[in-house]
Amino acid sequence: MALNAIKGNEQTIDYGALRALVVDDYPGMRSALKMTLSNFGMTKIDLAASAAEVIFKVGNNRYDIILCDFNLGEGRDGQQLLEELRHRGLINLDTVFIMVTAESVYEKVVATAELAPDDYMIKPFSAEVLRNRLDGILLRKLAFATVYRHYEANELEAAIAACDELMRNHPRFVVDALRFKGEVLNAMGRFEEAEALYKQVIAMRAIPWARMGLAKALHLQKKDEEAEELLHDVLDKTPELVTAYDLLADVRLAKKDGAGAQEALQQGVAISGKTVRRQQKLGHVALDNGDLATARGAYGAVLEKGQHSVFVSASDFGNLCRVQVEQGDVNAAMETLKKGKHTLQASSEGQLVAAVVQSMAHTKAGRAEEAVKALDEAAQLRGAGARIDEKLMLDMAGACMTYGRHEEADAIVSEVARNAHDSDSLLAKARRLYEESGRGEEGAKVLTAATADVRKLNNEGVILAHKGDFKGAVDRLLTACREAPFNPRILMNGIWVILKYLEQSGMDNDLMEEARRLLADVEKQAPGHARITGLRNQMKEVESRYGIRRRSA
Amino acid sequence: MKLDSADMYAALMHELKNNLGLLTMTLDAIPLCGDPGHDGRVDDARLLCLRSIERLQQALLIYKAANNALHPVVDAYSPLDMLRELRDTAQSLARDRLVIDTLVGDGVPEIWFFDRSLVEMALSNAIHNSLAHARSGIRIEADMVEGCLAFSVRDDSAGYPDHILAGGSAPEGWSSNGTGLGLRFARLIAQAHENQGRFGELRLFNENGAVFRFLLP
Repeated sequence: MALNAIKGNEQTIDYGALRALVVDDYPGMRSALKMTLSNFGMTKIDLAASAAEVIFKVGNNRYDIILCDFNLGEGRDGQQLLEELRHRGLINLDTVFIMVTAESVYEKVVATAELAPDDYMIKPFSAEVLRNRLDGILLRKLAFATVYRHYEANELEAAIAACDELMRNHPRFVVDALRFKGEVLNAMGRFEEAEALYKQVIAMRAIPWARMGLAKALHLQKKDEEAEELLHDVLDKTPELVTAYDLLADVRLAKKDGAGAQEALQQGVAISGKTVRRQQKLGHVALDNGDLATARGAYGAVLEKGQHSVFVSASDFGNLCRVQVEQGDVNAAMETLKKGKHTLQASSEGQLVAAVVQSMAHTKAGRAEEAVKALDEAAQLRGAGARIDEKLMLDMAGACMTYGRHEEADAIVSEVARNAHDSDSLLAKARRLYEESGRGEEGAKVLTAATADVRKLNNEGVILAHKGDFKGAVDRLLTACREAPFNPRILMNGIWVILKYLEQSGMDNDLMEEARRLLADVEKQAPGHARITGLRNQMKEVESRYGIRRRSA
Repeated sequence: MKLDSADMYAALMHELKNNLGLLTMTLDAIPLCGDPGHDGRVDDARLLCLRSIERLQQALLIYKAANNALHPVVDAYSPLDMLRELRDTAQSLARDRLVIDTLVGDGVPEIWFFDRSLVEMALSNAIHNSLAHARSGIRIEADMVEGCLAFSVRDDSAGYPDHILAGGSAPEGWSSNGTGLGLRFARLIAQAHENQGRFGELRLFNENGAVFRFLLP
């Protein structure tokens, strides 16, 4: 076979026009990397030593390249920083994010993460290697420019078409384009197509991310046996693949295997315990399993590792305190509140969490007067519109029952049940509360009444929609949305039927506005829910059909 | 926290590796002055630094692979990009002391599947060996051989000694500069790559010098 001399890349990168941010907690490394980048012709190079500094700088400048060390000393690590930057929309898809790490095992942790960096460099590396990597990624980003533009404007059909075109014209980006397309298909709810795509990649080679994508597509189609079997095999071959444990936990939860889900999450945490959302999930699952010690450890880790994290909220303090109170460790619960005072006092949600926890803790310690005082404060905050996570709401209902405030308790339980009519674990907890207070029968009535209306309205709406009566479906579901304004499933069904109705019957500006408002609520209540992207896309299509152009967020 | 001695050695090796990395970057920044006495010494120091880093990387790999087999993380990469990276690195180390050629076969596809960091580790090691032994030049090639992607590093040295070609244990002369160890790692990395029952291979032979050929299925 003939051998030919290799040429440089046909396109060249003008580094002088780019701006870079170098992130490392070690000053020697920062200046060495800055010098390396300036040798490529870069002049606009900023430096940061911590995640907080990056968040600040990225808010004020648009960077083309971020070169970030994984280990940033105390606080967030590079991966947490990247997740936050993407979650908050602080960097676009065309920003190159390279993780620098001393550990070659890191690649196994992040190579298949949903929020993977564009590349990773294992220290030490030469200037030539960095230059070649940057050239490669920047050229890939150029090739993907159209795909990214459509994706960021939420034009997902167009993004998929652009991926297909990229595959035809740039064979070297085939696998990258397939990976992107698979993620878009899963996000759009086109799971069967995603399954076929991942199988196509696996036929070329069983790349871990393709097998993970396939497992996800199977899980989303409720083919959980198949998904679990695949994940076992993935973990057998790549036991460090931490995201596989997260997905395995979801699959096992879908199979109602709480103990198995906890085991998977604990294995994931053993590899990478800094991820706040993994610890939160472990806490919830362990608590549902009645394993208070594990739940306490996980919730404790959320607060410890998640300081300044965008994923930590007031409810996380409540979660830890609840376990501490249940364990009878009232002093520890009060100590947790004390530590979180600053955060909790900053919002009415936080104040409500603190009041509910105080009431529970005082009750446990036999200080009825203080408990009632705290409960009064909680009732006042709730009356003024403060809302907290459903489990804490039920804790509040439990406190009301303790002091004979049954009417208040019923109202709270009813609200929770309406908003979580399909959550077995919350409804079971509510039933337990009533049984413990000797009002099992009344409780059953409250729960039936609360869920029946919502369930009936929802079912009728969905059936009417399937029969093509979208007008009737909109009526039923909008009533359900008013009854259960914090029930993401009802809200999503509401949005879906409104959009179907508009597609069928023409534009109605008030209804369109209602759908937008509901979508904004769902995005707040269930961020990252698998149906959201599809609904957003459907809305975009309806808007474009009726000539509505909106500025993309 | 219980820290066993293996963990402690690994942490120490990491630190040494990173410090040597910084030292390499510092040496990279020393400008050449055209005086072979000066420039040659800087080049030797850089190469020595890189080879020390390699040894530490290999030691860490042993530590990680002690209880488990080596698990490559395979993804799609461009063989051409890999070749460019190797060429530029070799060029910067050789400066004008040696000629670095890179050649690619007609049939080499746009993408191939392998663990980039492991393969890079194996090939860099081969290049560093060649830099130490070549008389006037090194050639790095990518080609298709028996259905596998083959990366080859050729030099015009006296070639591998017979015991290396025979795959036997390394006598003192080779093991003391790490060549034998590096080759064993390269073989381990090649064999860890598998595709439909076919395993990667390391082939060593002499053909107007030493040829290191790394086959990826």
